[in-house]
Amino acid sequence: MAAAPHALAGEVVSARIQGRRADVGGTLFKYALLGALLLTIAVLAVLLYSQVDRGSEVLTGRLGDFITSKYSSLSTRAGIKQGINGTLTIAAFVIVIAIPLGVGAAVYLEEYAQKTRLTRFIDVNIRNLAGVPSVVYGILGLAIFARALRNFTGGASVMAAGITLAVLVLPIVIITSAEAIRAVPDSIREAGFGVGATRWEVIRSHVLPYALPGILTGTVLSVARPSARPLLIVVGAKTGFFTGGDLGDLRDNFQALPSQIYQFSRLPESTWGANTAAAIVVLLVIVLAVNSAAILLRNRFEKKR
Amino acid sequence: MHTKGRWTLLLAILSVFALLASACGDDDDDAGGGGGGGNGDLSGTVAVSGSSTVEPISSAAAEAFAEENGGVDISVEGPGTGDGFEAFCAGETDISDASRPIDKEEIAACEEAGIEFIELKVGFDGIAVLTSPDNPLECLSFADLYALIGPESQGFEQWTDAQELATELGADTEFPDLPLELTGPGEESGTYDSFIEIALADIAEARLEEGAITEDQVETTRPDYNSSPNDNTIISNIEGSEGSLGWVGFSFAEAAGDSVKAMAVSEEPGGECVEASSETISDGSYPLSRSLYIYVNKAKAEENEALSAFVDFYLEGLTEFVEGGGYVALPEDQVSETTSAWEDKTVGTREG
Repeated sequence: MAAAPHALAGEVVSARIQGRRADVGGTLFKYALLGALLLTIAVLAVLLYSQVDRGSEVLTGRLGDFITSKYSSLSTRAGIKQGINGTLTIAAFVIVIAIPLGVGAAVYLEEYAQKTRLTRFIDVNIRNLAGVPSVVYGILGLAIFARALRNFTGGASVMAAGITLAVLVLPIVIITSAEAIRAVPDSIREAGFGVGATRWEVIRSHVLPYALPGILTGTVLSVARPSARPLLIVVGAKTGFFTGGDLGDLRDNFQALPSQIYQFSRLPESTWGANTAAAIVVLLVIVLAVNSAAILLRNRFEKKR
Repeated sequence: MHTKGRWTLLLAILSVFALLASACGDDDDDAGGGGGGGNGDLSGTVAVSGSSTVEPISSAAAEAFAEENGGVDISVEGPGTGDGFEAFCAGETDISDASRPIDKEEIAACEEAGIEFIELKVGFDGIAVLTSPDNPLECLSFADLYALIGPESQGFEQWTDAQELATELGADTEFPDLPLELTGPGEESGTYDSFIEIALADIAEARLEEGAITEDQVETTRPDYNSSPNDNTIISNIEGSEGSLGWVGFSFAEAAGDSVKAMAVSEEPGGECVEASSETISDGSYPLSRSLYIYVNKAKAEENEALSAFVDFYLEGLTEFVEGGGYVALPEDQVSETTSAWEDKTVGTREG
């Protein structure tokens, strides 16, 4: 930003030399936009730095131990293995349930359904659902998946939480997929129909591959969105010591990283602060890894089309 | 080209399925060989919930027990004493941790559900009254606390606003000219209930007879204070301003160190000011000390071997677990009282 006055002077001088009008407003606007970007990055950097700093004792001293051991009431022995397992399992449920269902619904809405009052009504409601706070889904999940279907899910289990989270992100997956499909130019569909392809063939070999990068970006970002702490706690993430919580204990007690961080934050800061911060850093790293993978995957598909 | 992209996606989805399937496979193996882990043949589940103050003690016991008995599933949670009893009397938990004795309404709820409980005293905790290190006051009496936090203090924004009421109650403390910033635990907390019960209730009863407050107000604090279920929030609010005042469990206050100041407390205005420490809490000279309990569901303890083994184990290592959590252990004679209450399966409460 310090370069702004300098650049502004440069613009005025070069405009004089070239005999055109100096674009003062445009130059200032460019730097205002740059400032907005830098501010966003600065917030992330400050957050990351403060948490790495606060958790340095754990991050440098016993990181391996920290991510491979279970919760303990002793802060020096406590780990977040159960939280990581829960988060990964829930993400797997979301991928397996929400992506096929969501992409399917989006393809139907965009490619097959007639534009009637009914489909518009459905469309509006899906958008509405995307704005419902996660705690409302938590109560829904508690009532249906953790209570009514307890014989199937095993009660307040990681399966109940995974299905609930899948339902939570479903509207977002549908909306982003539908947008991506809508962005496919009609000329591509018409070319397909022109050579005698059926509707399904056009969708399968033209529309979907073209829309795939957009679908991926939207859906994977929604999978990585772990901000549903109230939902997890309402559905029954444990907030204390418990046995189990291994990968594959689908119908057992569970913990997930966001709720584990909340749990740590309630314990005395002087002894637990480093654990809380280290868990936050691990969560940030996981989210960053998932998002980077999504972007890499998208770039691959974009190159191919 | 397109074909290849589609295959990659398909492969990705399939591999997720494979991951899940293999994970399910593991689950079956575990169930089959569950008894093999540890030296105990015990299996079953034990669910503990209740006071967040007692949670560290029960957690320590559960961890040590789980190490020896791989086949038992234990979970320990700490939503608060009141919430804990609600779940306990609905039959959802096996053990309820409590930082105060069970109250009449809760006993009625348990009776209605046909749940008999065994009350076991496990240790002591003090309630620390905290302020900022910059606050000149060193000692508060119960009368001062009533004037600052009791139901009649609603609307007091300065310490000096409470002066008149405190003087009326016989206190001679001179409050500093500072804004009064109150933070404490909320109604779901046993620490909230105990604070009212020990410090405020007697004065409130007297004030009720004088007609200064209504019956509904007797067992309450002022409604206009910051309440938080998170003890760290309470501590950091107290650190944050010179005129702060709040209360938390003693072990938590001790962990907070010098960033906050624990006040000495006297029962009567002008009486002896006692500071909280394990000695003064244990011998009862610190006025704001209380007992900690666990309540065991009797019927479940009889049919669930894992549960009764867990309580046996809990009581055997009691002193170690209590002190490990930063609390004050019971003296010898009270440990044996607790042990015999468990062995005789004594039903009901012996407190108030």
